[in-house]
Amino acid sequence: MNLLSVQDLQTHFIFRDIDHQLREAKALNKVNLTLNSGQVLGIVGETGAGKSLTAQSICGLLRPPAKIVGGSVTFQGRELLTLSEDEINTIRGAEIAMVVQNPRSSLDPLTQIGAQLVRLHQTHTGGPLAGSRKKALDMMQAVGIPDPEGRFTAWPHELSGGMAQRVLIAMALINEPKLLIADEPTTGLDVTVQAQILDLLNELVARFDMGCMIITHDLGIVAHYCDQVAVMFAGEIVEQGPTREVFLTPAHPYTQQLLAATPERLQLGVKSQLGGQPPDLFNLPTGCLSQDRCTLATEKCGAPPPLIEISKGHLARCHFVKPAEKGRSKSNE
Amino acid sequence: MSELVLSTKNLSKRFPVGRSGSFVNAVNGVDLSIKRGEVLGMVGESGSGKSTIGRTILRLTDPSDGEITFDGQDITTLPTKLIRPMRKDMQMVFQDPWSALNPRMKIGDLIAEPLRIHFNMSRSECNDRTEVLAERVRLSADFLNRTPSALSGGQLQRVCIARAIATNPKLIVLDEPTSSLDLSVRAGILELLQELRAETQAAFLFISHDLGTIKLISDRIAVLYLGRVVEEVPKDKLFSDPSHPYTQSLLSAHLPSDPNETLQRLTLQGEIPSPINLPTGCSFHTRCPVAINSCQSNVPEADEISPGHLVSCLRLKDGQNIIRRDLK
Amino acid sequence: MTGRSPSNLWTMARLGNRIRGISRLSPTATAGVIIILLFGVLALFSDMFMPHDPVSSFTDRILQPPSAQHWFGTDGNGMDVFSRVIYGAKFGFGIAIPAVIIAVLIGVPVGLIAGYRGGLLDEVLMRIFDGLRVFPSIILALAVVAATGQSLLNVVLVLGFLDSPVFARLVRSEVLALRSSIFVESAIAAGNPTWRILFLHLLPNSIQGAMAQTAVRAAWAVRISATLAFLGVGIQAPTPEWGAMIRQGAEFMVSGQWWVAIFPGIALILLVFGLNLFGDGIQDILDPRRRVSK
Repeated sequence: MNLLSVQDLQTHFIFRDIDHQLREAKALNKVNLTLNSGQVLGIVGETGAGKSLTAQSICGLLRPPAKIVGGSVTFQGRELLTLSEDEINTIRGAEIAMVVQNPRSSLDPLTQIGAQLVRLHQTHTGGPLAGSRKKALDMMQAVGIPDPEGRFTAWPHELSGGMAQRVLIAMALINEPKLLIADEPTTGLDVTVQAQILDLLNELVARFDMGCMIITHDLGIVAHYCDQVAVMFAGEIVEQGPTREVFLTPAHPYTQQLLAATPERLQLGVKSQLGGQPPDLFNLPTGCLSQDRCTLATEKCGAPPPLIEISKGHLARCHFVKPAEKGRSKSNE
Repeated sequence: MSELVLSTKNLSKRFPVGRSGSFVNAVNGVDLSIKRGEVLGMVGESGSGKSTIGRTILRLTDPSDGEITFDGQDITTLPTKLIRPMRKDMQMVFQDPWSALNPRMKIGDLIAEPLRIHFNMSRSECNDRTEVLAERVRLSADFLNRTPSALSGGQLQRVCIARAIATNPKLIVLDEPTSSLDLSVRAGILELLQELRAETQAAFLFISHDLGTIKLISDRIAVLYLGRVVEEVPKDKLFSDPSHPYTQSLLSAHLPSDPNETLQRLTLQGEIPSPINLPTGCSFHTRCPVAINSCQSNVPEADEISPGHLVSCLRLKDGQNIIRRDLK
Repeated sequence: MTGRSPSNLWTMARLGNRIRGISRLSPTATAGVIIILLFGVLALFSDMFMPHDPVSSFTDRILQPPSAQHWFGTDGNGMDVFSRVIYGAKFGFGIAIPAVIIAVLIGVPVGLIAGYRGGLLDEVLMRIFDGLRVFPSIILALAVVAATGQSLLNVVLVLGFLDSPVFARLVRSEVLALRSSIFVESAIAAGNPTWRILFLHLLPNSIQGAMAQTAVRAAWAVRISATLAFLGVGIQAPTPEWGAMIRQGAEFMVSGQWWVAIFPGIALILLVFGLNLFGDGIQDILDPRRRVSK
């Protein structure tokens, strides 16, 4: 059984616009994901691809006008989408934890960090206060905060960005979650600090045998820290599979474009095939969503592209991808 | 000498902290020079003073110390009145294109603005030139009548670049021009800049925190740490022969998108010290894995270890500056 | 539109909610507009509505109560109160509109310069304006009009000057926030001279709050000018100005000839009320600080 399994997840934005018209934007279009314990899954894509929305949908953090209109999210065999707010609250923060971007604004500015950790532990795990305090100090130690005793009474504003992110990770891990979702955990941090934080995350995933989902736009992070990768475009996963395979033999034209645009591979002077706007989420084209910016696109792309398994676990959603072995392709309409 | 567009000597900038009497030492004695047609990359983490240097060079903020020579003229203390006409020759592109453009002006007017200020052009001449500029940065002429809110980040950055090249400046400071853009959009902007540098022969000062981007476009790269240039290195030697311990650690933290490139992790301890109380001696000594006692008291001078490759490290002479041999 | 990505979708939806709530004027503000339009029509085309000449006396019909011939009765000079009330709308608008324009013309540039330059200049200008504001405006207006001569023009000038701090302060606070924004720095880097920065870049981005105040300030000007006239400063009887008419009629109140003062009083209250209603509605739309989600 997978730790987390997301099937055909569809999230739409439904609201009335300035002219009173009911608008519906298809922000997530049948997202399928699986994640196992001890595994790090990277979700990459550009702005607006629906990366963060996927995480929010999984955690039940959506608020109107965003609404899940279809699909299922099973966590340890349990369906999350039908749970009540109270039920999901007992899971979120305990079994599923989130680390978000911009750590400083995610901390309660009026509470010392030690107290914040203790409070979180008390809420979900309970037990004697002294136990929570011990756990908090252990966690601070584990995330590499020097002098945990001294920092226990520090205020959030006294922390640097990197230190605040460590505190946030400590908060995420204090109840020993099974699943950690990190949404752009190092965006805004310096590269030398980013390296520290990512090394730490990797180590903790192994130590606690968690499943970890890292949402990022940085392909370098995925290349070096994720076992699996899912490439998102316009609310759809266009390609997924083991990181090395996807990065070394990208199958979907969009993945190829994205990789070609990284500074290491980018060749200035050679006209790239990049560009074009992502499709209008209010009015999605029928068929392949990236047909407008794809150089391979033909009339064929007006039909929904099949999901093709190139090799074990490596899937791409494109008409032009050839399965490695015959008879293993399956279409997914 | 006329080839030299910009040079600074001992450039420093301090900002007072409230009324406490202490200062943020953002830039501390920087010597730089950029030639015509050259791209000088400037890389550093937050707090390294790279943006402040860019703004000080353009006299958007006044230097506290040192000299700035632009196009053979000392502009360090030139009054604003005399700087203003010179802005024709020195332009800037900012990091965040969403907030760098007046939200209430039309794109066409925004591009034409430098022309209207610096040239005596008839309206039709100005319009023609605006259209040429828009086409040059590959921006559809349909956008000229729109306001910035109708454009995407990449398109807005193209508008900013069109503004910057409108007057054929001799120097363009680009402050993280691609950092807030998506990967595929970023590639297009970098391609455009590459074409423009060849075409305009302007000197570029390209500021970035991303080593990959900076290597792609720069001829030389200055590595900054706490407002000082610790290493100045020709582009091909940045990855092959980084000689300052800080440059080496920066490179080791860089994540290339190729999973086959093995990481040689050299994680620095701690974080960048506060620029209010600069460390004595070499400002990197608090985090440097090869620091010795004399690093705490002596400020290292820049040594030219090969043509155009300058390194400021006391451990250069005894050969102990290389923290990991296998980095090479 | 670039609003295709989820992050933009959040904003779009929020904006939709917010603007939808206020894009149309609220019912009370609409009532304000109707009142203002009504008086506007009366002021512009008063000749069409006045049954009699507002300043010619019917010497035989002094202090007559409302009747079919004189709907609002006649005053102590035998003049038709109805015609005078209608004609008075001309003074209401004729004073308020130029006074507000003058206040904007003085206040906005001062606010722009004070906010952009900052330092000592800002300090001095703001202290002067503070001084103007703490002093009861009616007393100041009284003194200045009395000193400079009693003419309609002087009343307009004094009111405009006295009200300029309101606009200066609003614009200044906006400019203070915008001064260090990137687009202003970008404008400086492009080589814009100061006047262009002030009027092309800062003005269009800082004027909304001030514009939102104009209707409310017009109401203030109507009220103060009427008060001045009531106190006998500026406009004198028998000019058909509401304040002056109320002053004239006040002495007859005790003797039971209420119609002389009451009708111009009602007209005055209605116009001030209408301007305030409209001003409140317009502030909800224009003033960024009042844009709270409803």
